[in-house]
Amino acid sequence: MNAGANAGANVGAKVGANVGAKVGVRGGLLQRAWTVYTKELMDALRDRRTLLVVLLSSVALGPLLLVLISQLVAGVEKRAEARVIVVQGIEHAPSLRNYLERQTYTIRTAPAGFEQQLRDSKLGDPVLVVPPSFQAELARGEVPVVELLSSSGNQRAQGAANRVLRLLRGFNQEQATLRLAVRGVAPAALEAMQVDERDLADPGSRAAQLSTMVPFLVMMAVLYGALNAALDTTAGERERGSLEPLLMNPAPRWALVLGKWGAVASVAMLIAVLSCLSFLPGQWVVRSETVAALFQFGLHEALWFIALLIPLAGALSAVLMAIAIRCKSFKEAQANATVVILGVSLLPLVTLLNQEGTAAWHLWVPALAQSTLMGRVLKGEALASADVVLTAAVCAVLTVLALAYVARTLHSAALK
Amino acid sequence: MIDISQLSKRFSQGRGRKARVVQAVDEVSFTAADGCITGLLGPNGAGKTTTLRMVAALLPPDGGHIRVDGIDVATQPQAALARMGVLSDARGLSPRLTARENIVYYGRLHGMTRAAANARCDSLAAMLDMWPLLERRAEGFSQGERMKTALARALIHDPPNIILDEPTNGLDVLATRALRQALRVLRDEHGKCIVFSSHIMQEVERLCDQVVVVSHGRTVARGTVPELLARTGQADFEEAFVDLAFTRQERGAALANAGAVAGVAR
Repeated sequence: MNAGANAGANVGAKVGANVGAKVGVRGGLLQRAWTVYTKELMDALRDRRTLLVVLLSSVALGPLLLVLISQLVAGVEKRAEARVIVVQGIEHAPSLRNYLERQTYTIRTAPAGFEQQLRDSKLGDPVLVVPPSFQAELARGEVPVVELLSSSGNQRAQGAANRVLRLLRGFNQEQATLRLAVRGVAPAALEAMQVDERDLADPGSRAAQLSTMVPFLVMMAVLYGALNAALDTTAGERERGSLEPLLMNPAPRWALVLGKWGAVASVAMLIAVLSCLSFLPGQWVVRSETVAALFQFGLHEALWFIALLIPLAGALSAVLMAIAIRCKSFKEAQANATVVILGVSLLPLVTLLNQEGTAAWHLWVPALAQSTLMGRVLKGEALASADVVLTAAVCAVLTVLALAYVARTLHSAALK
Repeated sequence: MIDISQLSKRFSQGRGRKARVVQAVDEVSFTAADGCITGLLGPNGAGKTTTLRMVAALLPPDGGHIRVDGIDVATQPQAALARMGVLSDARGLSPRLTARENIVYYGRLHGMTRAAANARCDSLAAMLDMWPLLERRAEGFSQGERMKTALARALIHDPPNIILDEPTNGLDVLATRALRQALRVLRDEHGKCIVFSSHIMQEVERLCDQVVVVSHGRTVARGTVPELLARTGQADFEEAFVDLAFTRQERGAALANAGAVAGVAR
């Protein structure tokens, strides 16, 4: 560039006191890149309607998700606390009624047409059907048969069925113990061992089951945040016919590419920060202690999320630009960008489908690595700094490769 | 001053067995002097746009040299671009930016300070009569307004050399006249070297001091309008241009086509 300035100065003498010499090709790559960056950012921020939709959806994401989770949890809690059992024909079984009432259960008579209601998921409790001959058979020492109706398509009823089964087993055991006691056998003879249930999963990992979708949703927010700006600054510029004039400026093409990428990545990173932080006020809005216990997402977790997402936001921006620069129109670019959207939405599924847990290669794949590590953050596990550095480095390499492709393609793209 | 010698460019079209090489520009040579408007006149597909794209360092030539004020475009494209203002066929503006922001952006890319670019933008607005446009967003500009903004954008760094590719395309009479007037001012008062491509002879006849006729990628004639008229022995410039730019066969084929069309119409 210096040689160019010299030649310019030589000729400048001939042309006279020309602005050309004063303007020259001074100013480095970074200054030009900054010029492009500020212009592109201003352009993106003026696209109010698109920006508003993206911002609102990313900011609303946290509170909305928390409300959904809390409703789910509240429903489960309500049914567990209510201690209700729905029975048909309880009048045939006074001893069972006695047992249930001693367990402080409220007995409710099954509504008419309960089978259909169970099938349609309208009834949230399984139904116990007691035959008319129950009490007589029990008295004769025969084994009466009761039916517990639920539907595997009805998740609420299916979940409560286990609770009812356990309750009925308690009745069986009591009856058996009484009969043995009458014959002078110690209850311990019947029970070789006693089983106590204990759930070893701590609240943190139970929360992870519930909130596995959080990393996925946050990544999608970042992707959609980058999408519009990335396409507008490449394919959009081509479609408007403003890419060719832009290349006729004496600015190094890396300055143009870096400036454009910087603006796109800034928007994507802003979305990343906003959507992660939106979970914090979201937790104040949702005042459920169970949710608070299940979903522990404090400032610490939010900062880890942001640290993991920022390199990904940069890489996704660059990849989207590389895909869009080949496209003649915004529409064509949108169609092509679907590949990236599909990739980012499907990759996290690998962890679900893979029964063997996290494999080493998962951390080498962008999006999959981030969702894996964010999952660990949610479970309350400590992240190894080597893993974090590795995922960031993979994103950085991907960014550089994609931007190099954009820089190489820029000229030929402008002319077609 | 722009000096072009023996400029050549080939494109390959298609792939595999259907591939063929098209010689878009074939040893084009001409010199455009300072203080002079040089018209590049040729039919559609003659290689005008390709030539100007090579001058603007957008395409690498396969052969020949381009020198802008003595700077070789191939080896020092950025230094050459700093001395050129190019209004290409593509005149896209950023729709969400005002005309002034569009113009000043290019000034900044040329390394000007914001203050200098703004001051220059004001003087260009005065010259091109576009004051009312400056603070409006480019969204919804008419063709004429768009052209003015794009021209101001190309001239923001006060380049000694100005290149315009079919600048009157899509402009109405008034806008065309305004552009012509602006180009005369740039030539007479600022001593610019202006290269202007067109396929419309009236434009070239009205405006250009020197005409370079290009056809089939070659320079077929050079000179002033009277010189070209004298050379072809025609009184009308359109006739002279047709004589120079097209082969006898092409002229015959065009006439036969016209006859056939007239026959069908009858």
